[in-house]
Amino acid sequence: MTPTALFAAAPLPLLQNGLMVGAILFSLGLVGILTRRNLIVMFLSAELMLQGISVSLVAWSRYHGDFGGQVLVVFVLSVAACEAAVALVFVLQAFTRTGRLDSAAWQSLREASLARSVDHEIPAIDAPLPIFPRLTPAGVSPEPDADAALQREHV
Amino acid sequence: MSLFAQAEPATSGWLSTGLLLAIAVTSLAGSLWLLLPKAGRDGRWPRRLGTLLGVAALGLFIVTGQRLGNLGEDAVFLIVSLVAVISAAATITCRSPVYAAIWFALCLAGVSGVLLVLGAQFLGVATIVVYAGAILVMFLFVLMLAQPSGLAASDRVTNEPLLSAVAGAVLLGLLSLSIGRLSAEDPACCRPPSKAAALAGEPTSPAPAGETVDLLAADQVARLGGELFGRHLVAVEAVGVLLLVALIGAIAVVSHGLEGDQAERSSLQEGGRP
Repeated sequence: MTPTALFAAAPLPLLQNGLMVGAILFSLGLVGILTRRNLIVMFLSAELMLQGISVSLVAWSRYHGDFGGQVLVVFVLSVAACEAAVALVFVLQAFTRTGRLDSAAWQSLREASLARSVDHEIPAIDAPLPIFPRLTPAGVSPEPDADAALQREHV
Repeated sequence: MSLFAQAEPATSGWLSTGLLLAIAVTSLAGSLWLLLPKAGRDGRWPRRLGTLLGVAALGLFIVTGQRLGNLGEDAVFLIVSLVAVISAAATITCRSPVYAAIWFALCLAGVSGVLLVLGAQFLGVATIVVYAGAILVMFLFVLMLAQPSGLAASDRVTNEPLLSAVAGAVLLGLLSLSIGRLSAEDPACCRPPSKAAALAGEPTSPAPAGETVDLLAADQVARLGGELFGRHLVAVEAVGVLLLVALIGAIAVVSHGLEGDQAERSSLQEGGRP
């Protein structure tokens, strides 16, 4: 069997294009996770990196005519689901403690030698926020719940 | 490397078919835009024009539908990968986290299109179901729980944007350099494992010995399942355990965290807060 027959599963350009898309997604996710401060958006960026890896793996799988890459992507999917479940719990816990989704709210955990990051200038909102529709109140107003009020206090 | 430039016309009629399809898509979009209710201009002529355009688009679709089989997967790949890349960029640049999540959903649609073109049918569907259906909705739940209104100040500033952008661009440059250096005649990295796998003819593998799997066969999903539950059965079991552990861990963290928070709060209250 000649190597060309072995590699005939897919042409090289398709592999290169797939790898390129994967690389772009991975780089964008990397930039996102480095720059963004919202915990959830950081998380989305991590998922973006996983997507890039998945695309690369599937491109290799197609190129070699082998199921190995696709099987690996199945495992990537399952681990991503686990990761999302556990990490979202931690994000929610962090939110109930600080009342913010800002990762800088936890900067007291930084290395002792690093300086504290301070926002010198926060750009103004360039466009007014859209007014979202509100439901008209209906029914009997609920009894005030002291426990719920305690929970709300932090937010 | 000339990115996407390798897309050659599959047949001689490719260009005219592609052009026809582009005209059909454009006129369909135009007709829908004209027909949709808009603020300001709502006359009779735009609607008539929109109806006309819609009929024309339908005819064009029917005409091109005969020849769409010739349209190479390169064009489809180009479109879905552009969708994926553009919406990924929008995901990380969008100010509002909710919009970022929605853009991420669009990116997932593009990625699953790329996976479909690359011959991974099951994974294309699973990406939509698992990511867009479950994970993304969970993100949106948390976002809406956490940020009922307004745009937080932390969403309008970023950490070291210049350095990070340079780092990402340099990484992409390096990756594309190494991707461009790939060539079919260089089997140093590729041949031995592939040949070994092909020649070994694993007994549980559905692939016939000595041949590569035809990933575009009709029973591709069944074969993937056979591969998963044949050669990789132990790994599948391990992932099942991992999912269970993640579930239990999430529940445990939530319940303990709530108890800890309440204990903290009550101790704070007893400590004489105003």
